Amino acid sequence: MSEQLNGKKIIQIIFSEYLVLVGIAMLVLVTAILEPKFLSPQNLNNVMRQFGPLIMVALGMTFVIIGGFIDLSVAGMLSLIAVVTISLIEPLGQVPALLIGLCLGAFCGYLNSVLVVISGAMTQAEALFITYGMSVVYGGLALIFSGGSTKQMSGIKADTSLFKEIGSGNIGILSVSFVMFLGILVLLYVFQNKTFMGRAICLTGGNKTAAKLAGIPINRSIAFIYTISGFMTALGAIVLFSRVTTASPVIGKGYETNAILAVVVGGTTLVGGKGSVLRTVLGTLLVILMSNCLNLLGVSVYMQYIMKGAILILAIWLDNRKQL
Amino acid sequence: MNNFNTFKKLLKIATKQKAFLAVIAMLVIMLFNQTNFYTSYNLFDLMNSSSILMILAFGVTVVLVAGGVDLSIGGVMVVSGIVVIKLMNNNIPIWIAILCALLVGAVVGTINGYLTVYQKTEPFIITLGMGMLLTGVAQMITDAHPIPCTNPDFSKIANGKLFNTIPHLVIVMIIVFLVIHWVLRYTSFGRNCYAIGGDYEVAKYSGINVRRLKMATFVLCSVVAALGGVMLSSMLNSGSSTYGDTTALVVNCGVVVGGTSFAGGIGGVPQSAIGLLVFGVLQNGMNMLGIASYIQIICQGIVIAGIICLDCYGRKRRREAV
Repeated sequence: MSEQLNGKKIIQIIFSEYLVLVGIAMLVLVTAILEPKFLSPQNLNNVMRQFGPLIMVALGMTFVIIGGFIDLSVAGMLSLIAVVTISLIEPLGQVPALLIGLCLGAFCGYLNSVLVVISGAMTQAEALFITYGMSVVYGGLALIFSGGSTKQMSGIKADTSLFKEIGSGNIGILSVSFVMFLGILVLLYVFQNKTFMGRAICLTGGNKTAAKLAGIPINRSIAFIYTISGFMTALGAIVLFSRVTTASPVIGKGYETNAILAVVVGGTTLVGGKGSVLRTVLGTLLVILMSNCLNLLGVSVYMQYIMKGAILILAIWLDNRKQL
Repeated sequence: MNNFNTFKKLLKIATKQKAFLAVIAMLVIMLFNQTNFYTSYNLFDLMNSSSILMILAFGVTVVLVAGGVDLSIGGVMVVSGIVVIKLMNNNIPIWIAILCALLVGAVVGTINGYLTVYQKTEPFIITLGMGMLLTGVAQMITDAHPIPCTNPDFSKIANGKLFNTIPHLVIVMIIVFLVIHWVLRYTSFGRNCYAIGGDYEVAKYSGINVRRLKMATFVLCSVVAALGGVMLSSMLNSGSSTYGDTTALVVNCGVVVGGTSFAGGIGGVPQSAIGLLVFGVLQNGMNMLGIASYIQIICQGIVIAGIICLDCYGRKRRREAV
């Protein structure tokens, strides 16, 4: 194998499989030339912290998309978990609040999977609308729980050192959220490639009927898919509100499309069955770098919506051309 | 025994017409509460406020019947509504401005159709991206501020009243309803839509130009959505980018609630009207009963998730029965 990997071949592989790397390289290069502040340690630290919340949600979404489904409920779920966790710090203490937040995420995800399994939804479109309905429900619950007001972390009288550490602490030159991400990435990579359930999820996404006939417990793998997504969303919520030190009941708005964008841009195909958490890391890096670069270059925030939409369409289109 | 059979038959009809039953149930509940629900003012208001969503829903029905999904209609609605006002504020006659807005819809529909049909991409994710893109375009044109309309005649298009009772908006809605119903039921285009929604391959081998037809459904849907956007701008007498965030998802859900299936091939415009009426009556009724707005949001979510689940469950049962 190794003797075939000459320079031309590597470039070919990069262009067909890892176009996102080219995108990241171009973004970094152009911005670094136009705006020297981009490479300042302060800005890179900033990028690292912005990376935290989205990567958690996107890693969870990767499994949903590999499994051939989609999860739009992360927007409502993120708001609900952020609001609930931040409100529980004062009465219960910070460790129980953190644990309850994570359990709530896993439970909400499991609830989604129950609906998907019972109704027998087989296609992404069906799952999309079911999880959209649940997103509205979770968002409504977040509004009720918070009474529509934004919770401030500075107003909490109890000890919040743990969340402060997650939000702004450092380990060496890396931020705490980045170290959390590295640990979770290793765990999820091993889960995807070395465990039965991880492979079952890939097979479920590849062809559900074939997987069922081959004896793969597809209902169990659907439950795993959505529970992981819910749990990761909870982690994302905690990292997010720790960083911004407030939790509004609409804090999660836009995270569902950004997460889907990150996964798809990374190269995980929407058809299901193929993809990797490592690709999602690259995709998320592109999404975060893009908004950072455009902000630094002074491009209007509305332009970012347009670019995100265009990139989503472009990524899916290119991916489809490859399969044809 | 005989009674049991009729009961079974009734149950079967009931599961098929769940949206209609839901509307009836809500109307009955409102009958027992002393509110202003049954006043002509409120009923017209109900019709008026659900008209725009219904116009969008009739377009979406065509796409869904042909086996596609369109989530970009919210974006199309907002952009075309802003385009029409921008053009009129630059002293362009109303009719040309409206035509330009419809043209915007046609262009977006063509792109959607080209990508999904000729490039074989998943329609729902492509149109989701398109919706995101169009929202950005709308915000960039308006700088996220609502722009007022300077032409006084424009607001009469939607807000005028025939015989001083029926709002023009409702009449436009009924005209769109009749036209699309006619197209789906009584033209070869409509019948072919049902055919390609039912089975794409069979339709292809029976000589239907499936690609052109499916693309046409996307164009039609977007043009109708653009018309909805024009009516929205006329009703509000301003163009704003803040609407349309969740419109696409709500409208698609409403159409499915009515009985048009995601799988394609079944359903129709009257069902979609009833499906959207479920949301309209639910919201209006809950407002009348004075239910807190957060609870209303949750109820809406439960209705969406519940009815989509029922729709999927019905298909699962049919799959297993075969």
